[in-house]
Amino acid sequence: MNIYLLQVINGIGIGMLYFLLAVGLSIVFGLLRFVNFAHGAFYLLGAYFCYQLTRWGLSFWVALVLVPLAVGAIGWLTEKLMLRHVYATAHEYHILVTVGLALAVQELVILQWGPLGDSVAVPDMLQGVVMWGSFVYPKYRLFVIEFTAVLAVLLWWVLEGTRLGSAVRAGSESTEMVSLLGVNVFRIFSLTFGLGAATAALAGVLAAPIRGAEPFMGIEALGVAFVIVVVGGMGSFSGALLGGLLIGIVQSVMSTLWPEGARLMIYVAMAAVLLLRPHGLLGRKE
Amino acid sequence: MKRRQLLQLSALGALPGSLAFPHAALAQGAGAIQFGCPVPMSGPFAANGKFADLGMRLAIEQYGKALNRPLAYTLLDTEGKPATAVRKVQEAAQQQGARFFAGGILSSEALAMGKEADKLGGIFITTAGADEITGQDCNAATFRWSVPTFGAIEQTVRPLIASMPKAKRWYTITPQYVFGDGLLSAAKNIFKEKGIEHVGNSYHSLAEKEFSGYITNAIAAKPDVLLLLNFGSQCADTLRQAVSFGMNKNMTILVAWASGLEQFESLGADLCDGIYFGAQYWHTVDSPLNRDLVKLANDKLKANPNYSLAGSYICTKLLIDGIIKAGTVDTKAVIAAMEGMKYQGLTGEEEIRKADHQVLKNYYLLKGKAKSRMRNKDDYVDVLSSGKSFLAIDQTGCKRA
Amino acid sequence: MNAVSKHLHFILAAGVVAAMPLLMQSGSLASEVLIFALAAMGCNLLLGYTGLLSFGQGIFFGLGSYTIALLLTRWPLPMPLALALAIAMGAAGAAVVGWVSIRQKGTYFVMLTLAFAQMFYFIAYTATGLTGGDNGLLDIPRPGIAVLGRTLWPLVTPWQFYGFVATLFLVAFWLLLRITRSTFGRTLLAVRDNEERAAAIGYDLKLLKLQAFVISGAVTGLAGALHAMMTGIAPLANAEYHTSEMILVMTVIGGTGNLFASVLGSAFYLLLGDWLSQLWPRWLLLLGLALIAVSLWLQRGLWGLGETLWNLGRDRLGRWRAPVAAAPAGGTGRAPGQGGQA
Repeated sequence: MNIYLLQVINGIGIGMLYFLLAVGLSIVFGLLRFVNFAHGAFYLLGAYFCYQLTRWGLSFWVALVLVPLAVGAIGWLTEKLMLRHVYATAHEYHILVTVGLALAVQELVILQWGPLGDSVAVPDMLQGVVMWGSFVYPKYRLFVIEFTAVLAVLLWWVLEGTRLGSAVRAGSESTEMVSLLGVNVFRIFSLTFGLGAATAALAGVLAAPIRGAEPFMGIEALGVAFVIVVVGGMGSFSGALLGGLLIGIVQSVMSTLWPEGARLMIYVAMAAVLLLRPHGLLGRKE
Repeated sequence: MKRRQLLQLSALGALPGSLAFPHAALAQGAGAIQFGCPVPMSGPFAANGKFADLGMRLAIEQYGKALNRPLAYTLLDTEGKPATAVRKVQEAAQQQGARFFAGGILSSEALAMGKEADKLGGIFITTAGADEITGQDCNAATFRWSVPTFGAIEQTVRPLIASMPKAKRWYTITPQYVFGDGLLSAAKNIFKEKGIEHVGNSYHSLAEKEFSGYITNAIAAKPDVLLLLNFGSQCADTLRQAVSFGMNKNMTILVAWASGLEQFESLGADLCDGIYFGAQYWHTVDSPLNRDLVKLANDKLKANPNYSLAGSYICTKLLIDGIIKAGTVDTKAVIAAMEGMKYQGLTGEEEIRKADHQVLKNYYLLKGKAKSRMRNKDDYVDVLSSGKSFLAIDQTGCKRA
Repeated sequence: MNAVSKHLHFILAAGVVAAMPLLMQSGSLASEVLIFALAAMGCNLLLGYTGLLSFGQGIFFGLGSYTIALLLTRWPLPMPLALALAIAMGAAGAAVVGWVSIRQKGTYFVMLTLAFAQMFYFIAYTATGLTGGDNGLLDIPRPGIAVLGRTLWPLVTPWQFYGFVATLFLVAFWLLLRITRSTFGRTLLAVRDNEERAAAIGYDLKLLKLQAFVISGAVTGLAGALHAMMTGIAPLANAEYHTSEMILVMTVIGGTGNLFASVLGSAFYLLLGDWLSQLWPRWLLLLGLALIAVSLWLQRGLWGLGETLWNLGRDRLGRWRAPVAAAPAGGTGRAPGQGGQA
């Protein structure tokens, strides 16, 4: 198989995980109108909680269910107790509070688990590779693609088909209007923030067998998430999907063409989008 | 215990020590000889820093005093950044009068600190890997214990080629900076010499975490051996991802610059099984000093020494021995005493080469063993071979008078 | 306003500058405090005075470092000229970044500065011929001020260098103080408070913001250049996200309301960090918590805290001195009958 085709397929695999990482950030921005710099911290917690659960002998599948719920709850609490107080202030303080939070979480993680980094084993039934001709691909990564696709459909259904989803979408356009219509906007905020945290944690759990659990994975993930959300469109679900896949494929293909330049290209793309089409490829014009 | 109190007091005394007043009584403690441990305690290399700190502490507590003066040290968190490292070295020299520094995990910080030590008339001994440290950027103040790129490649690639004569196709994954290039060019030289086909190389940035693209490239090139020239968490990520692609079953994987025990612990035995590693140090090496260190570490820390700890321990020990041999703390005399010093080190006979201050010591080729064959929790590898390979002085680029 | 309060901030700054050599042992640490105070003031000009949250300060800091390194080693120029050019480079970089970034507002602006910061980092990482890549540029000398071959002001020892840094710092502080108190400065405040209204009145927002950027870049470039001279290296880390974050943290914790607060922020971060890092490697946790606390409750930062305590103390003292509750109507010393308009 042509190497570029292989890289594209690999890029899709990376991209789906990126989508999961970014979608929470995008939705939170769409509704709450600020960029959550602590998003990477939820991803980090997801990976580490997964590691801890597997250390305690629970299976990966249990972690896959429990961890997003736990981190989602933490996110929900964070919004209720902390972030709610900054909405009235200048938007810089929203960002700065979450920057402080990200820093604090990272240090707490190191305090608890040490600075070294740990591995999480791929669950037994997903070990090994699939082979199509000369193309080799780990079963686990294939699972990640399938699982994330299913999750994407589920999320889309929540956003388009449920009352909560409509409230979120409407709130993204106008929170005033939504609250005038009798919806408790603050409750929606908390739930949405919790959902964002949960999806980030889920991405962390899925990423753990691939990348291990390592204290600085939060910062790195945040950087990538920003790029995807900007390119795809802040506040747009499908934008996160498109952005994720695009960035994943670009990254993968670049590793054949111009490996050192992969990262640079990504940030140039981000700047270009911000300049020429700031609402992103699929975002709404403000 | 007196020593520990002294060390703790030194730390506490550092606050008043950044202010001038009553610090002196607390921090100095009757004319102690002041050491500095500039290592990253925060940031991505904090794990190495933590053990390096322990290594220096073990050495200082073990000796207690030299030339009838107590020994004390200050921990300097470089955060893995060269500028912070330099500034903290300057501060330690200004606040505690420290002149003896052992540390520098990252090449960039070690290079910068070596130059600063030279400027302020101190001594700096490091375990960082960049060739320039005892090569073109060598100076009177800088010493290095670890084996640089030439030796690391000679002692891993060459024996592997010899033991696998049919493995003719090699693929390399290299971090894109001076150190990575050093490893790569050393490897390429051997490839040329031995008629190995270098089927491809992937450079990657130091921030990279996703290696599947490079691995896909590597698989397409159908190599017999995958040579990983990165290190630290990037090495762990690459290895983990390579194993997930099944590469350990189809080909041999060699990690030229492994960190040793701490890395194997974080990877886990399953990932290390069958992988070849190059290492500066392993705790089962049978030398008198190493046996002592293993015993000391087990007594005080209830754990075997890993590379970061061992490296820091012997670097500190070399400084102290140098001071004792010179009979004075005058740094020029200590440098002269250290040059040419031959001693029983952790890896056996070691010597500090006078011309470039590089320690001549063994580098090890290790092979990971299956979990079932591990005799104890640290028995991750078998030591296959070891040896000393160093460039001749005129080839290192070091021009010292 | 009487003379003291008019010049209060400058007096405080001068006080800090004079106090450090008396209280501290390390000239390097003292210089570092002033260098990052400069950087924090540059950041404050954008954040506190213009309402622009910039994650790009590391770019200008890095540009200053690289420029002075190249102009003292590879293409040698006399030090004062090299320093001036480093300041100019910082300003130029800020002009480019600013010109592009201010095309967007609010969060998009912040993200643009972030994107630029990352781009600059990767360019600096890749352009090893110019920047030394990961190793950075080394062996930067520290020439003294010389005239006609005679060194008037050597900068060899740490405290000699501190004197140099302190002088430049005070000059920069004075200039910034004048700028912020000028019409231009007040216009910036208007932009910060309500952009639409400022535009409606007829101010050229883009030009104002750009000017703020250029001044900020110049000051930050100066800081970067001095830092490179102090440590002898221009490392890649100066251009990293963490440097921009650190400068922002110092600015916010100090207080975004005035320039001296940035000095407080820098001193707080560096002195506490230095001390704590020896005792507890996880001291950044406390910093993160402090940032949260400031953003939630203490938005005027350490300066605001100081002001509050000072007023509290003064009130207490006043009540102790004149316990008879003859408080004038209106209660705060204003003549009765006057309104509450500040």
